Amino acid sequence: MVEIIDGSENVSVHGIFNWILLLAIFSIITAIGNYIGYQHPMADSLIGMAILSIITLVGVWMERELPFNISSIIYISVIGIVLAFPTMPTSAPLLHYVSQVELLSIVTVFLAYVGIGMGKSWDEFKALGWRAIIITILVIASTYLGSAVVAHIILTLTGVPA
Amino acid sequence: MEWIFIPNKDGPVEHIYREKTDKRILKKNPWRDYRLHVTVLILVVIAELIGTIKIPLTKDVAITIMPLIYTIILGLVFYLAKPITWIQRKQARIAEGAMMLFIGVLIAKLAVSSGQSISLIFEMGPALILQELGHLATILVLPIALLLGFKKESIGMTNSIGREPNVAVVVDKYGFNSPESRGVFAIFIIGTVIGTIFISFLVTFSLSFLPLHPYAFAMASGVGSASMNAAAIGPTLAAFPGLETQIEAFAGFSNLLSFCVGIYIVIFVAIPLTEKMYNWLEPKIGRESITNKKGDDE
Repeated sequence: MVEIIDGSENVSVHGIFNWILLLAIFSIITAIGNYIGYQHPMADSLIGMAILSIITLVGVWMERELPFNISSIIYISVIGIVLAFPTMPTSAPLLHYVSQVELLSIVTVFLAYVGIGMGKSWDEFKALGWRAIIITILVIASTYLGSAVVAHIILTLTGVPA
Repeated sequence: MEWIFIPNKDGPVEHIYREKTDKRILKKNPWRDYRLHVTVLILVVIAELIGTIKIPLTKDVAITIMPLIYTIILGLVFYLAKPITWIQRKQARIAEGAMMLFIGVLIAKLAVSSGQSISLIFEMGPALILQELGHLATILVLPIALLLGFKKESIGMTNSIGREPNVAVVVDKYGFNSPESRGVFAIFIIGTVIGTIFISFLVTFSLSFLPLHPYAFAMASGVGSASMNAAAIGPTLAAFPGLETQIEAFAGFSNLLSFCVGIYIVIFVAIPLTEKMYNWLEPKIGRESITNKKGDDE
């Protein structure tokens, strides 16, 4: 799981090239899924995915190049939020294309990679025993339900209509 | 019971995401493994062609099974199935590395929805922030862990959902070879294999049986793991047609909060609270340790 890191990897042009190709493959598969599942035009989905890929690339690049200890997830979120701000000139064209890509189309492709990737943990998983499985299930359920119930109480108290 | 084996580790833990991605993506040429990507394409096409299946349980309650469930299960089946020789450990490693990069696309999509609904997010600020405290509910599982015979492992197991950031925090606090870290590693591995599938069904059932606010379901899906977040949003989107943008906005923003606020709640509230509970409850309900066979634990 956590492997010994020699710290010798640096971002190279070669690395960025790899990222771009991977994101292109991901975008094409997502656009195909988006077409089959939701009949959105392939060209628009591809542009939408290209926008999301560029945001991702910039975020991943910033994580490695900037001297702060901040996860790329934060950079990507901030870039996405700012570009989509209703007052930004980028907002309208961005939303036009990005809204063509259904979130669930992205998720479906993403989880295919997750499924193949998690096969690797299968042997360790089998070694862990039923007790730990019960605890994991309870932990996930309590996290989800705990935050759903708290959110519901606050939403009700602050009078947000359903 | 065989207990979890963890390789020795010397490197820093803070950048599990980054290091995994770099190691897998920069050194190999992951795009070259066309069989992996073609396999994913085939899985996606199959999944989208089957589409969403609704199984009615009663008049009002139905289980929704979505394409995302087919792809994750088929992906695992393809890895495990013996006749499929082109999806092996190497491909799984590439898939895992690629996945770390693809999280970005998912986050970007959610961020765009958040940006679009930014005023709504500010309006719902109190609920969004306070629901992070709801994650403390995992501590309620501690007594059950003790009753099942876990000792200090239970502190690592129940202080949080046990995804990457939480693993990093626990390892950082207790050390790599501590029982607490073994506990969080166990949750991490099991969560990796069954978490995403489990949460999708959990959400489907919750949507059917709990009369909560749609936004509450959306906010709760940001549990701090990108794939679980993704799997939790699916059924929520399907249950509330017309609210897609708001649900994506809240889910995305709450996942972001889980990363930046949630981690401090774990460090400053959840872990101390779990330890207090452990010290109070362990003498009362603790069982004989199931992991202490060699007597080297404590």
